[in-house]
Amino acid sequence: MKKNTLVMIGGFAIAGAILLLLLAATPASSGVELKLKELVENGEKYRENYITVEGLLIEESIKWNADEILLEFEVQDEEGNRLRVSHQGVRPDNFSEGVIAILQGFIQEDGTFEAETVKTRCPSKYEGEDMENYDPEFHKDKLDKSPEEGTD
Amino acid sequence: MYLLGNAAIYLGLAMAVYSLVILMAGIKTKQQRLVNSGKGGVLAVFICTAVAAAVLLYLLGTSQFVYEYVNNYTSSELPMGYKLAALWAGNSGSLLLWTFFLTMYTAMIAYSRKMKGNPMVPYISAILLVNTIFFYIVLGFVAQPFTMLDYVPAEGRGLNPMLQNPGMIVHPVTLYLGYVGLAVPFAFAMAALILKNMDDFWIKMTRRWTIIAWLFLTLGNILGGQWAYVELGWGGYWAWDPVENASFMPWLTATAFLHSVMIQERKNMLKVWNISLIILSYALTLFGTFLVRSGVLTSVHAFADSNLGMYFLIFMGIAVVGALYVLMSRYHLLKRSAGEFTSFVSKESSFLINNLLLVGSAFAVFWGTIFPLVSEAVRGTKVTVGIPFFNTVQAPILLGMMFVMAVCPLLAWQRSSAKNLKKNFLLPSILSLAGMTLMVTLGIQKAWAVIGYGVIIFLFITHYFEFYRGVKARRKMTKERIPTALYKLMTKNRRRYGGYIVHIGIAFIAMGIIGSQNYDVETMKTLKPGESVDIEDYRITYERLDQRSEGINDIVYADLTVFKNGERLGVFQPEKIFYGNWDQPSSEVALQTSIAEDLYMVLSTWEENGTATFIIKINPMISWLWIGSVMVVIGSLFAIWNGRYQNITPKYTGVMKEVA
Repeated sequence: MKKNTLVMIGGFAIAGAILLLLLAATPASSGVELKLKELVENGEKYRENYITVEGLLIEESIKWNADEILLEFEVQDEEGNRLRVSHQGVRPDNFSEGVIAILQGFIQEDGTFEAETVKTRCPSKYEGEDMENYDPEFHKDKLDKSPEEGTD
Repeated sequence: MYLLGNAAIYLGLAMAVYSLVILMAGIKTKQQRLVNSGKGGVLAVFICTAVAAAVLLYLLGTSQFVYEYVNNYTSSELPMGYKLAALWAGNSGSLLLWTFFLTMYTAMIAYSRKMKGNPMVPYISAILLVNTIFFYIVLGFVAQPFTMLDYVPAEGRGLNPMLQNPGMIVHPVTLYLGYVGLAVPFAFAMAALILKNMDDFWIKMTRRWTIIAWLFLTLGNILGGQWAYVELGWGGYWAWDPVENASFMPWLTATAFLHSVMIQERKNMLKVWNISLIILSYALTLFGTFLVRSGVLTSVHAFADSNLGMYFLIFMGIAVVGALYVLMSRYHLLKRSAGEFTSFVSKESSFLINNLLLVGSAFAVFWGTIFPLVSEAVRGTKVTVGIPFFNTVQAPILLGMMFVMAVCPLLAWQRSSAKNLKKNFLLPSILSLAGMTLMVTLGIQKAWAVIGYGVIIFLFITHYFEFYRGVKARRKMTKERIPTALYKLMTKNRRRYGGYIVHIGIAFIAMGIIGSQNYDVETMKTLKPGESVDIEDYRITYERLDQRSEGINDIVYADLTVFKNGERLGVFQPEKIFYGNWDQPSSEVALQTSIAEDLYMVLSTWEENGTATFIIKINPMISWLWIGSVMVVIGSLFAIWNGRYQNITPKYTGVMKEVA
């Protein structure tokens, strides 16, 4: 039985190592998901965090510099809180008024959000949508739900 | 059609309940007549499911948009293949497909020649019928596939363009076959426990079924990765998305089971562990379905929100509690006559380490997947766990796995002596160290890559030795020519050599992963027509932008001429497709594949003056992933192929043979 016990101890050592690995990696590579309002009001607090936030795109604020591949725009929530965003990358497909932009990145000192990824979300998932029936209000109540992948 | 479809579902439910009751009565009263009737019922249930699926396929194929499901997922201009594939595009259809596979497996077991006369059959059928009943209840009352609209739409809403890819036809089917397949070993294990049947017969049968499920699960995951790679345009194949994780976790635990069960076969150890692994794998398939269908976690794969997930969670709870109860009540039997470890350096202990790593990896994936939920419940803040988390945790585990795989073939069962170790490991160690030194001098200097490739070289050498020594030993006896000897050697030990082929395939996949994760290069550039971008050895010239239409879709494409080291490779056309019935366009990637690397070109956006922005990526060694995958498939097929194996399956002569 002694060898069995020792093998057990070895097993626990491996299990423990994996657990340690988990504990070490979890805080370092997880970020926070915030409401737009919270981010705009208390941006200072989250300077260090990798933030996920979403908002409705304001189409007229879009500035797309093709040569530098720099995209700047603003998003807002239903209460009118606005966030300026800059993104070193291309404009996602379907980047138009009222679409929900899901942003991941860091908040800068001047209150600009430096987005590493910009994704858009549509009201439908796998189902098609009859565009005639499209309800502009539909996006708004989807706002409180968590983000999901659209196309980049 | 409406009537036929619904009738098939409710009749199926009724038949399933009837078969379950009659089987249990037959088992209880030991009347073969009742059991036979139950078996007939199993077949009837399968026929009902087949009819329901055929009706839905017919409706989809003939575009009868008055049916909500047809309307939601197809449109009339869709090619026939995708119309039919829409069977598994939505909730209810995919559950119907699931039920179809489940009842198919049940019927296959109930009427299997190998299982004939085995008292486990009625139990297995009954357990699988409980599953079937659950699915039928969902199909009949929660997600009904044959709901009709109160008007007839002129045109359906169409299939999401991202699903219009050949991947759509095979990836979900293989994944479901794998998912459902794991219910079979679960039923076997439960039946064996209930019967207090502690011999190893059920293991031999269960292993085959597990390998089949495992193979489909592997295929499903790989095909999904391949699909994401060509369709989503982000240049990756695995994103640690909750749904990917959901299918990866049972894969890991099933892999662990396939290995640890060998120890049970040889040494009669780890019985409780093995049964726990089976229960766990099965529970994880249900848990995965819960994740996908409930909308608690969001992902690319999520189906439309519904309360379906809850049903799966409840069913999983019942199944797990029931299984644990059975396990506990038979615990004393399992504990008896267990073997012991005789040495630390033996195959047994390397299998044990492999198991711990696999289960640990599954736990890490589980943790990362549910951590956002846990955090929200405990601390109130929503947390995101990203790809970096999974990569940092999984990379060392994968490396450990590769190491165990490399070392294992050369370890002896029971114990390996020091002399034995030295003889076996000296040469592979020297060669892989030499390989690592060579890599460093050639400029491959990332620690992960060097160590990883070093271990993989080790693995290749040890596996080569296995084949080499086997052939040599055989030729000494038989004086056959080398190919004959190799062939005979392998076909006489299908499981062993099939397993080695799978290992080599996994090593190829690991090489692909290491290469593509560590050495990918990406650039983004806006070009005027005629301008070029240079990336490593490639020069890509943007010639022109143009437009064409295909059916109701408009396609914008760019002509890119690609040169490698000055040599012209040809013209490539990355596209952007705008769909007639879908508001989101999608990117069609242009790929130049070679054994060393993929050149991955995406047309992102363009301006009115003709300038266009491209994303160009170089993904090294991606093709190794696909080559490795093919080897995994070949290896597992080789291992389960009906060869001599069939003949050595013992006819059942075990405990209490009353009804079968």
